[in-house]
Amino acid sequence: MKQEELKTLLYDEIAKCNRCGFCLAHCPIYTIMGREWATPRGKNALVRAIIEGKIGWTPEIEDTLFRCTGCRLCTQTCFPAVETNQGVLAGRACLADMHQYPKIVDRVVEALENNFNISDEPNEDRTLWMDFLKNVPEHMYQKEKAEVVYFVGCVAAFFPLVQKIPQAFVQVLDKSKVDFTILGGEEWCCGFPLIQMGMEEKMQKLVEHNQEKVKQVSAKTVVFACPSCFHTWKEKYNTNAELLHSTQYMERLINEKKIVFNNGFNKTVTYHDPCDLGRNSKVFDPPRNILNAIPGLKLVEMANNRQLCNCCGGGGDLEMIDPELSAAIAERKIQEIQDTGAEVVVTSCQQCIRTISGYARKKEIDLKVMDITEVVLEAMGS
Amino acid sequence: MDREKMVEELVKLVGKENVLSSETDLYLYGYDASLFRGKPDCIVLPGSTEEVSKIVKFAHEAGVHVVGRGSGTNLSGGTIPTQGGIVVHFSRMNRILEIDIENQRAVVEPGVFTLALKNALARYGYVYQPDPASEKVSTFGGNFGENSGGPHCLKYGVTTNHILGAEVVLYNGDVVHVGGKTLDNPGYDLTGVLVGSEGTLGIATKLILRIMPKPEAVKTMLAIYNTLEDAGKTVSAIIGDGIVPATLEMLDRLTIKAVEESIHAGFPLDAEAVLIIELDGLKDGMERLAERIMEICKKNNVREVKAAKTEAERMQLWAGRKGAFGAIARLRPNYLVCDGTVPRTKLPEVLTKVMEVGRKYDLSIANVFHAGDGNLHPLILFDERNEEELRKVHLAGSEIMKLCAEAGGTISGEHGIGTEKKKEMLFVFTPQDIGAMKKVKMAFDPEDIYNPGKVLPEIQE
Repeated sequence: MKQEELKTLLYDEIAKCNRCGFCLAHCPIYTIMGREWATPRGKNALVRAIIEGKIGWTPEIEDTLFRCTGCRLCTQTCFPAVETNQGVLAGRACLADMHQYPKIVDRVVEALENNFNISDEPNEDRTLWMDFLKNVPEHMYQKEKAEVVYFVGCVAAFFPLVQKIPQAFVQVLDKSKVDFTILGGEEWCCGFPLIQMGMEEKMQKLVEHNQEKVKQVSAKTVVFACPSCFHTWKEKYNTNAELLHSTQYMERLINEKKIVFNNGFNKTVTYHDPCDLGRNSKVFDPPRNILNAIPGLKLVEMANNRQLCNCCGGGGDLEMIDPELSAAIAERKIQEIQDTGAEVVVTSCQQCIRTISGYARKKEIDLKVMDITEVVLEAMGS
Repeated sequence: MDREKMVEELVKLVGKENVLSSETDLYLYGYDASLFRGKPDCIVLPGSTEEVSKIVKFAHEAGVHVVGRGSGTNLSGGTIPTQGGIVVHFSRMNRILEIDIENQRAVVEPGVFTLALKNALARYGYVYQPDPASEKVSTFGGNFGENSGGPHCLKYGVTTNHILGAEVVLYNGDVVHVGGKTLDNPGYDLTGVLVGSEGTLGIATKLILRIMPKPEAVKTMLAIYNTLEDAGKTVSAIIGDGIVPATLEMLDRLTIKAVEESIHAGFPLDAEAVLIIELDGLKDGMERLAERIMEICKKNNVREVKAAKTEAERMQLWAGRKGAFGAIARLRPNYLVCDGTVPRTKLPEVLTKVMEVGRKYDLSIANVFHAGDGNLHPLILFDERNEEELRKVHLAGSEIMKLCAEAGGTISGEHGIGTEKKKEMLFVFTPQDIGAMKKVKMAFDPEDIYNPGKVLPEIQE
């Protein structure tokens, strides 16, 4: 993106910031860093200063703009609801245009161009998570035609820590007798990381491919266990298929009595709203309705929940760009989880699980982190 | 002193990571929530009183100015480094040092957010009373400097009534203690002098606060009026009757409209004004007091008065008040919050004149304010990028202050003077009065190290 375009797109939005500073109280980055550059107010001020020609693209601006989790809690708590993250992403797009960004970005872009996924593995390996699953049907969950496409997402497909999500979700769908398929090696990254890196124009190829594949399957519905894939499809894709997050779809299956809880789940749990599912897609009730429908399960809320839920620290590619900062945010999140006294923290996002349990493991904190699909599967029993 | 040398010396005192001096950082510490701008020479983030003392001692010896800063939420330009120097940002000194329930005291560092202490106190059933609108992020250092207020200050008093003592770093780096944990301290009341001095006399590094048990019961009412005058008369009549509600807030027509469009708090769109009246204290007698207030409202031609029956209804009424700034902020890109105080009895008359000022400059003005203590907050709507409009906003703001002063009030209720209202000080003080204040400044900071160019206007001596 060029600077002129930045002005056209965002000057009016950013100019709504009155610098009141109320966002400082909520921003996960400022809470850890304690410096003005970390604040949403500061980010707005810098983007505005660039638009007005008062400041150039300094190295500090790069550091600043690449340190935002995209959680949008600042916008949620801002009087004029300034869309700071839009300014941040547009700023990153300008930086990308000038090849001024963290080195790791090139590696990810290369992986996406070569493998169509964010890992270094070939895309055929997208289904390796099935190796650990018993009773996999002959078609390996890959059918030519199906009512529903389950879009697995790169992280859940490739990262061992969270492969339990597709493993659990396909079993839930199977047990509920849903006619579904995955796209296997034909599933390409949704493009979310490119948006975060300010390279949205590079995602078109991915979008078109995925849209076409869903069309070929004649699917009426596409289901996502990844909130970021879900949000990206909702915002950037053009499809006639209905787009649902796994929590919305499972809620429907419960209402249709296709999901039945034979076992229940006798534990006190708290629920963490993933930013891209909760605040950014406004899906707050389905996960709670699911949890409340499970016999024996007691749901307790964190001090900050729903619209005000604190980010885990893993959003906006931050874990990739600044792992230390991401971990410091996760530490605070874990404190808030522990304050509820819950035995398990349930969420519905592979990235949140990675950030939270990754930190807990490293620091040997006894914390059980589960995806909602796992909880549902366990509660369904045989 | 050249900047490189300054940074080098400061790095020795607090470490490299706690000194900021890039062009980007200098830009970012040049603003606060006001309309003013400045540029510091560098920014330092101390971690202890000892470090603050060393920084100030260094600044004093080098003849460099020092400006303290918390969250930079202040509305009068108090934290703008108008003459350069070192900005001391207190975000690292954010520990609650002590909560002593039996003696009803808390001790905090200056970087603690007001609400963070309140949250910590809630588990004991205790509260720190002052509640500035920015409490979720305003720091105690800032509250100390600005003598912050808030809706509940009608009954409980402003910040100065809740700060009993402080550890203060003087202009030369010396650390002194003023006041203490007891209510009445011998010697001069230096705490009283320092609270509200806007960082021009010293920097607080520890604060001793008064905390109180949470009131047993709360009752919140909404009174709806067809005229501003009747609403204003009600305010005077309630206080005149000897009742001191916990809060007594007023919203005018433009505010009501904006609130209803964005949050639906249940305010009627055709009303000219609403009052939000809240009582707190012992359960016994509260109903009787509420009835008395309702009677007073009726005598003053209230259209309707209703009491919140549940906590949810109460929260909804407050959502309307607390969301008012937000709702108004959506009408135009920017707003200036004016801050003036008038005798309660003059409220209707001054409000009418405020609206005339708006018409004169062709600016929209919305009013949402602490009516109980006569603290007006006219919000002037504009677009900061429009220079002509910005110029008119400054003129209108000043004219509104003049109105307040002429009505027997004053030019600030809680936001301070800072950079914004220095010349308006002469609306309410004579040059002799200002001269007396200058002597205090000279006593505390003879070399003008701290926050230069703030609060006091230039006068002919």
